[in-house]
Amino acid sequence: MFDQLMSFVAAMGAQTGLAQIWWGNVVMIAIGIAMILLAVIKKYEPLLLVGIGFSCIISNVPGSDLVLPGGLFHYAYEGVQLLILPPLIFFGVGAMTDFGPMIANPKLVILGAAAHLGIFVALIGAKLVGFTIYEAGAIGIIGGADGPMAIFMTMKLAPHLLPQISVAAYSYMALMPLIQPPVMKLLTTKRERMIRMKQMRVVTRVERIAFPIIIGIVVNLLLPPVAPLITMLMLGNLFKEVLVTERLAKTAANEVMNVVIVMLTIAIGSTMSADRFLTGSTLEVILLGLVAFIFGTGSGVLGAKMMNLFLKEKINPLLGSAGIASVPIAARVAHMVALQDDRENFLIYQAMGPNLAGVFGTALSGGIMLALLQ
Amino acid sequence: MDKDTVTFSVLLSVIDFFLSMVMISGIGLILSLLPRLNRLGKLDEKSMRRGH
Repeated sequence: MFDQLMSFVAAMGAQTGLAQIWWGNVVMIAIGIAMILLAVIKKYEPLLLVGIGFSCIISNVPGSDLVLPGGLFHYAYEGVQLLILPPLIFFGVGAMTDFGPMIANPKLVILGAAAHLGIFVALIGAKLVGFTIYEAGAIGIIGGADGPMAIFMTMKLAPHLLPQISVAAYSYMALMPLIQPPVMKLLTTKRERMIRMKQMRVVTRVERIAFPIIIGIVVNLLLPPVAPLITMLMLGNLFKEVLVTERLAKTAANEVMNVVIVMLTIAIGSTMSADRFLTGSTLEVILLGLVAFIFGTGSGVLGAKMMNLFLKEKINPLLGSAGIASVPIAARVAHMVALQDDRENFLIYQAMGPNLAGVFGTALSGGIMLALLQ
Repeated sequence: MDKDTVTFSVLLSVIDFFLSMVMISGIGLILSLLPRLNRLGKLDEKSMRRGH
């Protein structure tokens, strides 16, 4: 009878997660805990890291039904896989974004594309180290510093790289205050960094309402592959700018955004299983992402300096680095670096122009890439 | 042409970068024309804010 009892206990044990756990799960659980600690103690992107960290922990506990078909985490991932969640993120972003700085100074918009050379450096680099062209395209888009766009492109081109690319993209966006300034200072002189920009004109309500409508039409006509993202960005912005739909704009910017962030972070974390994440390609993706950011910063600054060859009124080249789409972090970094040389040189408003244009730059680069690859 | 080559990745990058510069310049051009819409009239923001 004792033997029967022991075999019964052994059979029960074999069905639990304890029988299937391996060192990789332990490492990933530790990474998940580290993410939560960074969020709580260092206040490091808490809205993202708490959800990603927790679902990373759970997805590495063998036997968890949440990540299996039928589980909630699985359905959260379906929201990403079916490309429902990224456009909804952009919907919320549009409802809280003031595109005035971009509308007020159209010539700075070109910096939103100039700062994306990093995408292509990373793409070529990824191809050189052995990734497929589709994987390389998804890795390259990290350089656009746009989380939802990175997720969108990854799901279209290389869904198996979602955990690596999303972690790299969001991590580097948070690290921009460390990555960008050395590149910016290397490529500019103190005199250039001290260039002051003129105060921008006031953008009228008519222009603010026309902008999302016109851009929505243009993007759907010219770049259907990425139209879902930009269309929802413009819809959210239209709700904000017409003023008569304030409650919808507030809902988009708050309740919708919060729910989607929860589902998105759960989805990303649920893909971080040890067998998918602890591979050599993870390290390569992370390094290529860093290369993309560095080259993007550099190309933006150099793009601004090239513009100055043709402009009578020079622009501060630091604005070029703000062309990376991480809104508003890149603009803030440009502002902070300028203040270091001139404590009265406030660039934040002007830097928001190329920063917002960078969102379109990433979408354009990604849309053209999809059109050429698919 | 075989897409999964380094040569194609370079070609893709050059074309993509060039086209995105052209397209974003087009967006810039559209933005530079937006002030002309102000000739259509002004909007009363106070009455708009009294909406739902």
